Formats: sequence, structure tokens, C-alpha cells
Amino acid sequence: MENCDGGSIRSLMRISEISKWLLLVWLAVVILAAFLYVHPAQGFVGESSRIVFFHVPMAWVAVLAFLVSCITSVMYLRRRDPRDDIRASVSAGLGLLFAVLATVTGSIFAKIMWGAYWNWDPRQTSITILLLIYAAYLALRGAVPDPERRAALSAVYAILAFVTVPFLVFVVPRIYWSLHPDTIINTRGANEFDSRYTQVLMASLVGFTGVYIWLYTLGCRIEAIRHRRRQEVL
Amino acid sequence: MSDLMGIALVTLIIWVGLFAYVYRLDHKVGRLEE
Repeated sequence: MENCDGGSIRSLMRISEISKWLLLVWLAVVILAAFLYVHPAQGFVGESSRIVFFHVPMAWVAVLAFLVSCITSVMYLRRRDPRDDIRASVSAGLGLLFAVLATVTGSIFAKIMWGAYWNWDPRQTSITILLLIYAAYLALRGAVPDPERRAALSAVYAILAFVTVPFLVFVVPRIYWSLHPDTIINTRGANEFDSRYTQVLMASLVGFTGVYIWLYTLGCRIEAIRHRRRQEVL
Repeated sequence: MSDLMGIALVTLIIWVGLFAYVYRLDHKVGRLEE
């Protein structure tokens, strides 16, 4: 049985190792394809449409990370397992990081398209509110010293924070007039980009999701070590 | 070299650099877990 478990662990480690190298090659190919394989999309200034291959996946990963943070927070409130609290906090931190990256890439696009990095467009305003909400989540975690109280409070906060995500990301920018281009699958339900564009974008979404999964598992492992060391000190 | 090729190369270098950093960190964490 021990041999079998040892063998399974070794196989898992091997798969994990191969996945990391595959991710390196996958995103390298995506980067080259984004600049050298795809033609610039019509209706955009110069080569600015290429930023979509990085901006959209970053925004997608931010929403995914906030969703994972919400789900693991619900799990914490049900089971009171500290590992769920670790999962929620790591995912919220990663969500915030990717939301910042989406904001930065969006600002570069705004500068090229509309001449200014910041226009207080509905999408820029809603992402700012979202960033503040999740920055407050991290501030809340830093402000409560008692681990159990911190975990319970931040779990409730993460659930409430995620309620705002669909409104701020999907609803608000569509209610008001916006400079932001239609999303890839727009309000008419049509994909107006050519097939090369769609292929590279989909590949980029898969690659960035892989980066998120890797960073998430790594973050959880680091926090688990910290948690174990704190327990040993106590 | 065209501007586009230059930007692609810089982006590629950034990605490989970030990958190397996280990969090393991953292995360091693996050693701490043992």
C-alpha cells in the first residue's frame, strides 16, 4: 500500500513538473502568436488590438480568483477548516493582482485609443471600486489578530464582496455608455474577430488560467507552511 | 528587427523570467515541505 501511495505521489509530481514546462512553452507560443501570427483587428489604432490577448485573460483570471475565494469562504463557514481560510485569502490576493494587471493593460490601451490613460469610463470606474473592495479584504485580514475571528470575518466579507463582482464587471459597464469596445462575444451574441484572433485569445485564456492554478497551489502551500510554523511556536 | 518583433521578444523575456522565479520558489517550497 505504501509503495502504491509513494508511486502515486511520484506520478503526480511528474505530471505537475511536466505541466509547468508545458505552461512555459504554451504561453511562449501565445506571446509569439499574439504579435506575429494575428493580423491587427479593424477599428483599433495601430497594433493596439494585440493587448486584448493579455488584458482579457487577466480580467478573466481576476473574476475566477474572486469566485474561488467566495466558494472557499463558504466552505470555511461550513467546515471551519483553516485550510479553506488559506485558500480564500490566497485566491483573493491573486484576484487583486490580476485585476491590477488588467487595469494597467487597459490603461495602456486607453492611452493609445483615446489619448489618456484614465478617462473615468464606466469600466475603469467599476474596476477601481472592485480593487478598493478587495484591497479592503486584505486590510481586514491584517487588522484582526485572532486567527479564528479573522477567518470568520474575512469569509463573510469575501462572500459579500463577490456579490458585487457580477454587477461591477458585467452589468454596470453595459448600462452606461462606454468607450470600452464590445466584449469578444458582444451584446448581439456575435464574435466579430477573425478565427486566428479567436484561436490565440482562447489559447491565452487557457494559459493564464494555468498560471493562476499554479500560483494558487503554490500560495496555499506557502501559507500552509507559515500556518504550521505558527502552530509550532504556540 | 521590427518594433513588433522587439515587443514580442521583451514580453517573452519577461514571461521566461517570471517563470524561472516562480519555478525556483516552487522547488524551495517543496524542500521546506519535506
